[in-house]
Amino acid sequence: MKTFLIDDDPLSNYLTEHLLRAERFTSLISTFESAQDALKILQQQPAADLPRVIFLDLNMPVMNGWQFLDALTPWAAKLQGRCHIFVLTSSLALSDMEKAQTYELVDGLIHKPIDRAEIRAIRSRLREEAGAA
Amino acid sequence: MSECSVTPLDGPALPYSEALFFLDDRGRFTSANDAFGQLVGYPAEVLPGRALASLLVPDLPRNGLLERALRGEVLTLELPVHGTDGQRRDLLITTFPLLSQYVLVGVGAIARAAEGARQAEKAVLKREQQLSIIFQAVADIIFVLKIEEHERYEVIFANRALLNATGLNHDQVVGCYVPDIVPADSLELALTHIRQVVQTKQRATWQTTSDYPAGRRTGEVCLTPLFNAQGECCQLVGVVHDLTIQKQVEESLRASNERFLYALKATTDALYDWDVRADTLLWGEGFEDLFGYRLENNPSTFGQWADFVHPDDAPRTVDTLRHTALRTQYNHWQQEYRFRRADGSWAVVFDRGYVIRDAQGQAVRMLGAMQDITARKDAESTQRLMTQELLQHNADLQQFTYIVSHNLRAPLANARGFVDLLTQVPKDDVVFDTSLQHLQTSIEQLDLILEDITAILSIRDKLEPSRREPVQLAEVLGQVRQTMDEVLRATGSQLTDSVPVDLSVFGNRAYVHSIFYNLLSNAVKYRAPSRPLRVECAGHCTSQGGVVLTITDNGSGFDLDKTAGEVFQLYKRFHTSSKGRGIGLFLVKSHVEAMGGRVEVSSRVGEGTRFTLSFD
Repeated sequence: MKTFLIDDDPLSNYLTEHLLRAERFTSLISTFESAQDALKILQQQPAADLPRVIFLDLNMPVMNGWQFLDALTPWAAKLQGRCHIFVLTSSLALSDMEKAQTYELVDGLIHKPIDRAEIRAIRSRLREEAGAA
Repeated sequence: MSECSVTPLDGPALPYSEALFFLDDRGRFTSANDAFGQLVGYPAEVLPGRALASLLVPDLPRNGLLERALRGEVLTLELPVHGTDGQRRDLLITTFPLLSQYVLVGVGAIARAAEGARQAEKAVLKREQQLSIIFQAVADIIFVLKIEEHERYEVIFANRALLNATGLNHDQVVGCYVPDIVPADSLELALTHIRQVVQTKQRATWQTTSDYPAGRRTGEVCLTPLFNAQGECCQLVGVVHDLTIQKQVEESLRASNERFLYALKATTDALYDWDVRADTLLWGEGFEDLFGYRLENNPSTFGQWADFVHPDDAPRTVDTLRHTALRTQYNHWQQEYRFRRADGSWAVVFDRGYVIRDAQGQAVRMLGAMQDITARKDAESTQRLMTQELLQHNADLQQFTYIVSHNLRAPLANARGFVDLLTQVPKDDVVFDTSLQHLQTSIEQLDLILEDITAILSIRDKLEPSRREPVQLAEVLGQVRQTMDEVLRATGSQLTDSVPVDLSVFGNRAYVHSIFYNLLSNAVKYRAPSRPLRVECAGHCTSQGGVVLTITDNGSGFDLDKTAGEVFQLYKRFHTSSKGRGIGLFLVKSHVEAMGGRVEVSSRVGEGTRFTLSFD
């Protein structure tokens, strides 16, 4: 299950990657410290090669998580149903939670650090979806 | 005092027939004049010798009056007769006895047509009714006094107006004497005038105010004497014109005028009256007090006022005023403008006027008031400044909330995550060691953020002037340069320093140190990888005595359009390649502002960045 981690903090990326691996969530993990780099890849890749899951940080320099989501809007049709985006942030601000709900592309918001229960919940959700399809 | 026979009214001449006839003691005509003959329709000369009874309409019910008249009583009775033409005529006769040596020898009578007599009576009656209505309806008080002995004056007539005005009833007035009616406080005045009229036989007029049951009444009394046949004054006719309402109006007008005068004294406004045609302004005393002028002429010319209006405000003040008054039909005009005081300072005034127009809509006058609102305006701008400061503080607080919720929590979240991960990976795995290292790094980051917060909190308040000192910029820059010598050399950077030795700002040495250190660190951190760093520090004094300092580098620069005002915000970073925490420029800005200065930035991607610091 191809997974992207987008976070300018390398420590955070390392942590999330290894928490996912420890849970055997997936072994196909790509990390990006720049949202712009991740965006470029998503725009260029054919639909079949898109990641199933993206964990997206909000507070990043140059292009933050919101700007990344806005930039993805023209590709929404391509992403819908194939790519699940979860906001992964250390922010506890309610305003971020509310704002995340306004994005159709966003499947959910998770507070850092992600824990085992959350990883399992995502996995079972994706399996259900695959089974239904 | 003799009995009075005054008829105050002259009636019209009665239709007096002067018809006479005389009867003997048996009721036969002894003589009758032509007038009577015409009245009854017989030639007068045929009547002597005939009985009066023969002229009467037969079979009339007898009332015995004629018999009584024939016996010598003075009576007026109706007598229906029919003449030679057979027509009935109703006569009214008044009989009187004819005596000779105290013996009744006959009866004389005056006759007139009953119909005419009745009409005349009706006319008199009607007249009396009309007069009565007039007397009762007239607004003025009318009364008649009868003069009795011992200076006693009885009211024998009073109209309704008198009763209404005093609140007394008919029986409390008519038949009563003057002292019973006129209250004690004005009685002597009344009696004095009454005596005077009686004695001088001249009309008298006076004003009097008294308290009656209906309230305080003020009136002008006019008293006219009436005389009997002997030329004696026997009655007095009084007419009173009620001035109560007029007095009340005068009193309220006086009070209102008084209030206005006090209001004028109480107001600190400069009131004016613009005579539009003469183009002059009449000023209230407030003008001199408010602006310190001594008016040589009052009214003064319109131009004199206009000259004192601030030149920048004149178009929207003087021009709009003239336009409103002369070119429109509006009545109201108001404007806020600056007005020169006698001492040359400017007062902010709020001016409000009302244009009075004639029937054609032409402006005739304008009344207005200039109010000095300088103090209020100053207070407003102070308040605005305070609001701005409060907003700034609020924004700062929001940034702190943000730090706590994100920047402080980010390393904390990592630390928690690594602790979790450490329990899941085998101790001999390389991930275990790396995680342990990262845990340590996260905790160090946490510590750094707390240090930042301490630094920020220490400069959030403006530096008190008392705690400021002159700081020589070149000297501090030299120290920073020494501190950074190693890193500058290692990166092959070159720093040019052309800040004049004697250039100094009034502030805090530590702040100046922090400013140079952060700006130079930034320059090194964000230098262009393709070329060695060149930094140029320059400074000069402005003509106003301020100081301008520029720090220019040839580094990688950044896109100012994209960063839109966020350059100096806390924990905002614009580079993904370097390890910046996003506090340096925030500290620079905070330190500069704490010393009363400003900082601006210009930058081009790939060319470099320039920071300009200005101190007044």
